[in-house]
Amino acid sequence: MTELINYLTVSLILVGIGVYGLIVKRNAIRMIFAIEIIANAANLNLIAFSRYLGDIQGQVFALFAIAIAAAEVAVGLAIVVIAYRLYKEIDVEEYRSMRG
Amino acid sequence: MIDLSSTPILIIILLGTVGLSIPVLDAIKKEKGKKKNKLFSGITFGTLIVAILIIIFRVIGGEPLPSMSFGPDVLVDDMFGSFFAITLLIVSIMVSASSWNYMRGIVNPASYYSLILLSTIGMVLIAYSTDFVMLFIAWELMSIPTYALAAYAKRDPISNEAAIKYFMFGALSSAILVLAIGLVYGVTGTTNIGESILILANNNLQSQSNQLIGGFIPISYLAIGLFVAGFGFKMGLVPFHMWLPDTYEGAPTTIGALLAAGTKKAGFAAAIRVVVIGMFVLSPDWSIVLAILAIITMTVGNLAALLQKSVPRIMAYSSIAQAGYILIGLAVAPYAAMGLEGSLFHILNHAVMKSVAFIAIAAFAIGIAGYSLDRYVGLGKRMPITAIAFTISLLALAGVPPLNGFWSKLVIFESAIDSGSVISWGPYLAIAGLLNSALSLGYYMWIIRKMYLDESKDTSRIKEPKIILCVLLFGMIFMVGFGIWHAPLLEFASISVPTQFDQILPTLEASLK
Repeated sequence: MTELINYLTVSLILVGIGVYGLIVKRNAIRMIFAIEIIANAANLNLIAFSRYLGDIQGQVFALFAIAIAAAEVAVGLAIVVIAYRLYKEIDVEEYRSMRG
Repeated sequence: MIDLSSTPILIIILLGTVGLSIPVLDAIKKEKGKKKNKLFSGITFGTLIVAILIIIFRVIGGEPLPSMSFGPDVLVDDMFGSFFAITLLIVSIMVSASSWNYMRGIVNPASYYSLILLSTIGMVLIAYSTDFVMLFIAWELMSIPTYALAAYAKRDPISNEAAIKYFMFGALSSAILVLAIGLVYGVTGTTNIGESILILANNNLQSQSNQLIGGFIPISYLAIGLFVAGFGFKMGLVPFHMWLPDTYEGAPTTIGALLAAGTKKAGFAAAIRVVVIGMFVLSPDWSIVLAILAIITMTVGNLAALLQKSVPRIMAYSSIAQAGYILIGLAVAPYAAMGLEGSLFHILNHAVMKSVAFIAIAAFAIGIAGYSLDRYVGLGKRMPITAIAFTISLLALAGVPPLNGFWSKLVIFESAIDSGSVISWGPYLAIAGLLNSALSLGYYMWIIRKMYLDESKDTSRIKEPKIILCVLLFGMIFMVGFGIWHAPLLEFASISVPTQFDQILPTLEASLK
């Protein structure tokens, strides 16, 4: 049980770091990293539970989640690359043509 | 094992094969861009029609399992899934057909239509999935293509900005979903939705006597909260809505229709299956959270829409407000038999109304090359048929009788009032909804006034794109026809959801054996 709680604590700290990064940083790449940290915290959570329960399903799900997150980030980075071509800038504060 | 001829599998095979073969076809064919756009639009349209026909025939034949079923498999072919599949396929059909005109000049039509098809598979699968792994994969299959679609106008900074905002919040929402699924898995030890709901319910019963299991209950509440947040980003509920107006405005308008009418409804499908049922078995008192969210969502959406100048943006805020109306039904679902039924009815109606509105905006954009409300002056005379379709969709969104939006709102408000016999806050939801409908009429009428009553200098007729006119005609027939004769849709909605909430647990137990 203590081992599980240790892992869950690390995962909780990682979620905290991710949320902090998402709120404070305004660089698009850094924000993607922050989201990735949250996703990985969730994966750690899944794997810790899976190990504790002695059930393989959670690890399988974590593998799926990692693969999908990779695909997601590929699309996200492509969008950021296009943004850089258009604005010569990846600071999200600059992307403010729409208001209201 | 899943039967290979069950509806969801057939849909995956059909749409997936065509969706993946369109880029191959693009590489083989050496035609010019415009012809290709027509070809692929036609193929996509035909495939989606075949898919919807398969589902409709199976529903008429009575093959799907009744209302919302759960099983040991990852997918289940039930009425709930069929209802959402039909709704979402109607949206995709309207979007792909209107792209024939709107996307005429795009550089790479093959990937555009291929992504629409793949995203449609994801949306449909969400409604059918009974396992968190399947639900998450379907969720991502729906989301990832739409990030690329939102950024489709590559040289347009606004489209790119829309996509970046959409991507950031979309990726955050899926990370939150993994977190929530992880917590549920940790508490229950299974990723099957039905099983985990059952275990949560049993835990909840035992927790009164057993201290150790009682410690898990707060984690389940946290998981439900995270689910509401994760799905809420896609549904556009109010604390999670900040990306939505920018994305719907900036993305290509047909994709705005797909997002507003399609992905949003898929979010509701997931939320009804997971959150509403899960919350009910844990503790129905918590549905007051959904009620509060509903009131905030309606009010913020409608108030913000009053201040906007750009028409797609008004429609974006209006779709936030409509999510609030739908949420009323979810909040009162455990107490009133008509709650979920009304929500589903409004989901189908809103999907058609909102896609007609966005597609009409796309037609105006082809004609006048602008989205600003000031440029809509005199359009009632310049593009008469499109303007009439737009007007009808606006009136239906506002809930003016005898259009279809009126009936679904009526059912939702009625269920909120009915729930007053069990919970004291139920009728207030109906009052809030009515006040908000009156408020929303303000900005809908403002657009109609601009189109018909204000004089413009330029009164020349503008050629209206033909395929879009056909789509709008279908939408008008749907809105007026089912407004006059709403019984079949309401009946379809009522057989697609569980109405007896106290029967859920026994049926769940029986279906998992």
